[in-house]
Amino acid sequence: MNEELVAKITQLVMEKMNGNTEPQQVAEVQQNNSTLKILETPETSPTDGSNTLIKLYNNAPSREPINYDAPAYTNTQAKPFQFEVDSPSESVQAARKNTPARIGVGRAGTRPKTKTWLKFRLDHAAAVDAVYGEVSEELLQKLNVATVTTRVTDKEEYITRPDLGRRLSDESKEFIQANCKSNPQVQIIISNGLSASAIEENIMDVYLSLQQSLSNLNIEIGTTFYIDKGRVALMDEIGEILQPEVIVYLIGERPGLVSAESMSAYLCYKPRIGTVEAERMVISNIHKGGIPPLEAGAYLGTVVQRILQHKASGVALVEKES
Amino acid sequence: MNGGKGALTTEEILSAGIDIGTSTTKMVVSRFLLRNVAGLTHVPRIEIIEKKLVHQSPIIKTPFKSKDVIDMEKIEQFIFEQYQLANILPENISTGAIIITGESATKHNASEVVHTISNSAGNFLVATAGPDLEGIIAAKGSGTVQQSKQTGKVIANIDIGGGTANIAVVQFGEIIGTCTLHIGGRLIEFQNGVIHSISPPLERLMQRWDNPLKIGDAANDPRIAKCIEEMVTLLANVLSGQLQDEYHPLLLGHLPNWFKQVDAVVFSGGVAACIYEDNCSMRQYDDIGERLAKALQQHDALQSFLWIKPEETARATVTGAGTQTTDISGATIQVDAQALPLKNVPVFQCNMNASMADVHRIVANAVAQANTLFSVQENPVPFALYFSQLPYLSFQDVHELCQVILQQFTLNSRSNIPIILIIQSDYAKVIGQTIQSINNEIQIICIDQIKVETGDYIDIGEVLPSGVVPVVVKTLAFHSQ
Repeated sequence: MNEELVAKITQLVMEKMNGNTEPQQVAEVQQNNSTLKILETPETSPTDGSNTLIKLYNNAPSREPINYDAPAYTNTQAKPFQFEVDSPSESVQAARKNTPARIGVGRAGTRPKTKTWLKFRLDHAAAVDAVYGEVSEELLQKLNVATVTTRVTDKEEYITRPDLGRRLSDESKEFIQANCKSNPQVQIIISNGLSASAIEENIMDVYLSLQQSLSNLNIEIGTTFYIDKGRVALMDEIGEILQPEVIVYLIGERPGLVSAESMSAYLCYKPRIGTVEAERMVISNIHKGGIPPLEAGAYLGTVVQRILQHKASGVALVEKES
Repeated sequence: MNGGKGALTTEEILSAGIDIGTSTTKMVVSRFLLRNVAGLTHVPRIEIIEKKLVHQSPIIKTPFKSKDVIDMEKIEQFIFEQYQLANILPENISTGAIIITGESATKHNASEVVHTISNSAGNFLVATAGPDLEGIIAAKGSGTVQQSKQTGKVIANIDIGGGTANIAVVQFGEIIGTCTLHIGGRLIEFQNGVIHSISPPLERLMQRWDNPLKIGDAANDPRIAKCIEEMVTLLANVLSGQLQDEYHPLLLGHLPNWFKQVDAVVFSGGVAACIYEDNCSMRQYDDIGERLAKALQQHDALQSFLWIKPEETARATVTGAGTQTTDISGATIQVDAQALPLKNVPVFQCNMNASMADVHRIVANAVAQANTLFSVQENPVPFALYFSQLPYLSFQDVHELCQVILQQFTLNSRSNIPIILIIQSDYAKVIGQTIQSINNEIQIICIDQIKVETGDYIDIGEVLPSGVVPVVVKTLAFHSQ
């Protein structure tokens, strides 16, 4: 994630720990629309002379002996905190090209370095935010999709009761019946699932590219809608109501530490209540660092074409194709 | 194209490699297994998972009609014999390369030979090698490129055949430089104990001497040792980065162009067979090959490098041509099957500098330049536009880009020629599909995940059942950075 942000937060942490010094300067940093207050401390903060048990040496250059008679903070040219320059060997650089994993990050004693640790915390926080976040109203308006709900009432229940996320609420059932086209060739549905950020980041491009691909292939699309807190198998009930040939279900994937923005597309030929998992297919890892959303959308169109052609999905499709 | 159809099963293709060298000609046929390696839940990624040599020809002497003319009929005859021995029909070959190397490449009918044979000897793709490409193919065929992926060492593969030594320097699996020298086993040939021929570059070298060797001098003349000593010292200087003289008589083409220190050396080629196998029975030639091999082994400066043994010696180049020249495109692409195969398509690079701000100007410039560069007497020739460093694209960006591309291509009245696009990042399908949705009349070939540059030529083979296309890139440049 953002190097600068990590550096700023570290600065902040260091300040908190150096609580006995007076803040000299307050800088404001705009980051992700939230404002962080950064406190700058002079390098000559007199930690050495204090009675504290723990001393913090912030990569400090050798300090001059402190003269308490002299006015404090004479050379108070405050410098922003900076991490030591990361200069990995060529082999580490070559290895890093092959994985997004945190390799070759070094260590401090038996523990990770502060920078690594903070980045880890940041990524973890992003994952938590993705689960508890919501897809914005503007995005849904731009997509021109209506929202329906499941039997889940809040996030906690969504996480603890997957079965409730697999059923539509009564009013949603009625709404779908009344407002969505019946018997389309393809029904596209969207849900935040376990990552609202996945939908925020990727849905627009995947959806537009998929629509284009299907229209090039002359495949008819039903009325797309958005499901708040849905689970994958919810497509079975929607299949019962609208009787589409294929459902393409775009849903936010359980976030990980490499990306919290990964989306998946689940596809199934004629999903109905009682459909077994072997009939579902998934294209996962759709995000900036994985399969580019645009390319995924274009590819999904051809998968739908194959499903329609063979009237089968999942394991049955593999069998029919081979 | 229906990308990914049957992508779960393996498929097989046959690849042929033919190497017509200064002194020897050889051929290999190999079978590639292609499979989707991406796993069931991902967009497919088709890769060559196994390469198996199914036939190796004997190494024959390159037949000549006269000193400057290669005997094409004999070579064709040899190739067809080998197909029969391998029990393979030429029309079943779907990729591979025929290359003409060393001094054979300078013969009068070199290009005619390569093109005639590539048309008659199978439906495979052709690559006439320049000395740089030859060195790269040898480095791949000898296993050096693969080996370099397992260590951080900078390794020089030196392929020494009859006429030239082709050096390719590799690190982390990437070629970082090449250089070619007139060093080879056949630069001096003997007959009945006397010198029968001396190659022109060597004669130029000896012009600096007071008393150069002449045809008819004895085979044990001490000046021959001096010649070999000069060659080996030059090689050592090249490897250690000390050669500055761009007019050195034994230098073919450019000076060494790598900037890192070479750690290790691998020798391949006919002369290398004498180095590692300690038996020169494979070379039944009366020339300086054996002595050259010995001199390489004994030279002090060369001993300071780490010596690594190759997997292939005499057959490195042909193995490289047969097994290492074919790339597989990304699995999500858009290609008009009727327009394939395409051979010798020149590439023009269109660098987007990670921004869409200037897309009109950049694409217009690139298309205009490529048109002037590649058109033959006002006749537009199909060329491939290679988009590198595209920024992260949104749907609107792709639309804008495709509009510009279509505009530029139709502006130049190229409507009867397919638009060929190569995309560095994984966007081929969406770009192809968008162009199709704007104009479904035009033929489009849009592939990705192939590394090319301006100056490269590519061959694009027919669509395989899994929806990918085999591609042979004839590169003269390096893609390390």
